[in-house]
Amino acid sequence: MILSLIILYVLTLIYLAIADRFRNHTTILALQGLLLFGIAIARLHEFHPVEMSFIIAETLIFKAIVIPAILMRVIRLTKINRIHSSSSQFGALVMSIVALVASCTITYYMADQRTDMIFFGVALYALLSGLILIVMRKRIFAHLIGFLVIENGVFLFSMAIGVELPMLINLAIMLDILISILILGMFLRRMDDDIHTDETDALTSIKD
Amino acid sequence: MEMIIFILVSLIFAIAPLLVKSERATRILAGCFFLTQVVGIALIIALKHTDVVMLSIFRTDTLAVLFHILMTAVLGFALIHSSSYLKAEGVTTRSYKAYYTLLMLLAVAITCVYYSDNVAMTWVFLELTTICSAGIIYHREFKLSLEATWKYIFVCSTGIAMAYLGILLLSTVAEHGALDYTALKAVIANGNPLYLKVAFLLMIVGYSCKMEIFPLYTVGVDANYAAPAPASAFISTALVNAGFVSIYRIYDLYAVTGEVFEWARHTLILIGILSLAVGAMFLRRTNNYKRFLSYSTVENMGIVIIGMGIGGVALWAAVLHVVCHTFVKSSMFFQVGIMRHIYDSYSINRIGNYMSINRVGAIGFILGTLVLLAFPPSPLFLSEVMIFSEIISVGSWWLLVAMLLLMCVVIYSIWSRTLRLGYHSNQDELHLSEVNRRLSYSAAVLLVVAIAIGIWMPAPLRSAIDVIVNIG
Repeated sequence: MILSLIILYVLTLIYLAIADRFRNHTTILALQGLLLFGIAIARLHEFHPVEMSFIIAETLIFKAIVIPAILMRVIRLTKINRIHSSSSQFGALVMSIVALVASCTITYYMADQRTDMIFFGVALYALLSGLILIVMRKRIFAHLIGFLVIENGVFLFSMAIGVELPMLINLAIMLDILISILILGMFLRRMDDDIHTDETDALTSIKD
Repeated sequence: MEMIIFILVSLIFAIAPLLVKSERATRILAGCFFLTQVVGIALIIALKHTDVVMLSIFRTDTLAVLFHILMTAVLGFALIHSSSYLKAEGVTTRSYKAYYTLLMLLAVAITCVYYSDNVAMTWVFLELTTICSAGIIYHREFKLSLEATWKYIFVCSTGIAMAYLGILLLSTVAEHGALDYTALKAVIANGNPLYLKVAFLLMIVGYSCKMEIFPLYTVGVDANYAAPAPASAFISTALVNAGFVSIYRIYDLYAVTGEVFEWARHTLILIGILSLAVGAMFLRRTNNYKRFLSYSTVENMGIVIIGMGIGGVALWAAVLHVVCHTFVKSSMFFQVGIMRHIYDSYSINRIGNYMSINRVGAIGFILGTLVLLAFPPSPLFLSEVMIFSEIISVGSWWLLVAMLLLMCVVIYSIWSRTLRLGYHSNQDELHLSEVNRRLSYSAAVLLVVAIAIGIWMPAPLRSAIDVIVNIG
C-alpha cells in the first residue's frame, strides 16, 4: 500500500517537471497532499485521535485543499496560464531524471539503519525537484510551486527519519508555512498589479 | 508562565496601534511597549531569573538577556527616529500605525528567538521574523521595495525550509522528540557524524539569511535598502543578532561532538572568509549608502563567524564584536536616515558636502566610520586584535593574510566614501531640507556607548560574555 502511494508520488514529481500549465501544477500539488495523507495514515501504528486530527489538518485540509485553493485564486486573479513558451520540457525532464538518480545514489551512501531508505530517497528527490523548478523556470508562480514541492519533501523527510515532534511545535510549523504561503500569494498579486510582470527577469532593478 | 505574560503584554501593545485613531496614541503605545521590554529585562535580572527554563520552550540565559538588552536599546532609538522619518515622508495615519505595529511585532518575534530553548521553536520564531520584516520592507510601497520584499520572503522561506531539514536530521539523535538544547547536547555525541555534518550545513545556510553572511546575505542587503532607515537600523542589528544567537546555540550544541565540531569550525571559517570577501568586493561597487552599510554588516558578521570558527579567545572576541557592532551600526543607519531627510537621496555619487550642511551628523558619521573600521579606541579594535592573536596562536597564517588583505580593501572603500560624503561637493542640484540636529545627537549616543565600551569595558558585560562562552 505505502509503496504504491510512494511510486505515485514519484510520478507526480516527474509530471510536475514537464507540466506546462499552472492549473495542472496546482492539481498535482493537491494530489500530493492526498498522497501524503494516505502515506501518513498508512504509517500510523495505532489510532491516536490527536495525531490523526493533526495529520488530517496538515495534509488533507492544508496541503490538499487550502493551499491549492489559494493558488487557484492567484491564477484566476493574475490570469497566468503557462510556465513559459520558450521553456524546454525535454530539458526539465532530463534534469528531473538526473535528480532522481542523484537522490538514489545519495540515499544509498547516506541512509543508516534507522532511516527508511525509500522515504529518504523520495524526499530528497522532492527537494531537488523543487529546487530545479525554482532554478529552471522564469515565472514567479513556478517558484512558488517549487517552494511548496520542497515543503512537501520536508514532510516526507520527517517521516523518513521517523521524527515525532511535540504537537505544539508541529502546529506552529504548520501555521508558519501557511502564513508564508498567504503572504507570498498576496505579494505575487501585488507584483502583477504594480510591476505588471510575473517573470523573475523583471526583478533585477535592485543592484549595486 | 512569566515569559508568556511578558510576551502577551508585548503583543497587546504591539497590536493596539491598529485599534487607535491618532498617531499620538500610536506613539504612546510604542512607549508602553518599550517600557514593557525594560521592565521585563529588569525583572529577569532583579529576580535572578537567569538560566530558568519556562514552558520547555524559553530559557532566560545570559546570551538571551544580553541580546534582549541590546535589542531594547536599539528599539528605543528606532521608535523615536521612526516618528520623525515617517513625518518627513508624509505617510498616512493608517500607514504610520501599520509601520509601528510591524516594528513592534518584529521585536516580539526577535525576543522569542533570543529566549527560545528549543531548536524547532527557534526555527518557528525566525520564520515569524520573516513575516514581520516583510511588511516593514514593503512599507514605502514603491517598485523596488516590492521586489526586495518578494525576494526577502521567498529566499528566507526557502532558506529556512533548508534549515528545517537540518533540524529534522539533528532530531534523529533526540530522545522522545525532546529538541531543547540541553537535552540535545546530552545525546548529540551519539549521532551519525554524516547526519550531524549535513544538519549543521543546512542550518547555517538557512540562518545565513538572518545573520547576513554567505551564502544568503543578499536578501538582508536588499531588505535594508528598501526598508525605512530606522527600521533598517533595527533589522541590521537586532535581527542580525537573532541570526547570530540561533547559529551560536547550534555551535554550542556541536561543541561536544569532537571530530564533527572540528569540521563545523572549518566550515565556519570558510563561510566567514567568503562573507568578508563579498563584503569587501561590494563595498567598492555599491552606490547607495544603505547598501554600503549593509555590506559592512556582511563583512563584520564574516569576522564574527571566523572568530567562532577559530574558537578560544576568538570566540569571546566574536561575541564582543557582535555586541559593539550593534551600537555602531544602528547609530550609522540612524545617521543615514537623517541624511535622507536632508538630501532626499542615498546616492553615494550624488550627495556630499555634509560637513557644512549638518556638522553634527557628519562628525557622527565620520566617527562611526572610524569606530566601524576598528581604529582605537573602538571596541572593534579590541575584538579584531583578539581574533588575530588567536589566529596567529593556532598558526593559520593563510587566514591571517587573507583577512588582512580583504580588510585593507574594506578600509579603503569605507573611508573614501565617508570622506566623499563629508567634503566632496554635490554632483547636481539638490533640494536640501531643514536639518534636525537633535536626531543627529541622539544617534550619536549609541556611538558614544560603543566608544565607552572600547575605553572602559563594564564588568557586567565582561562577565556576561565569560558566561556565554563558558569561561565564567
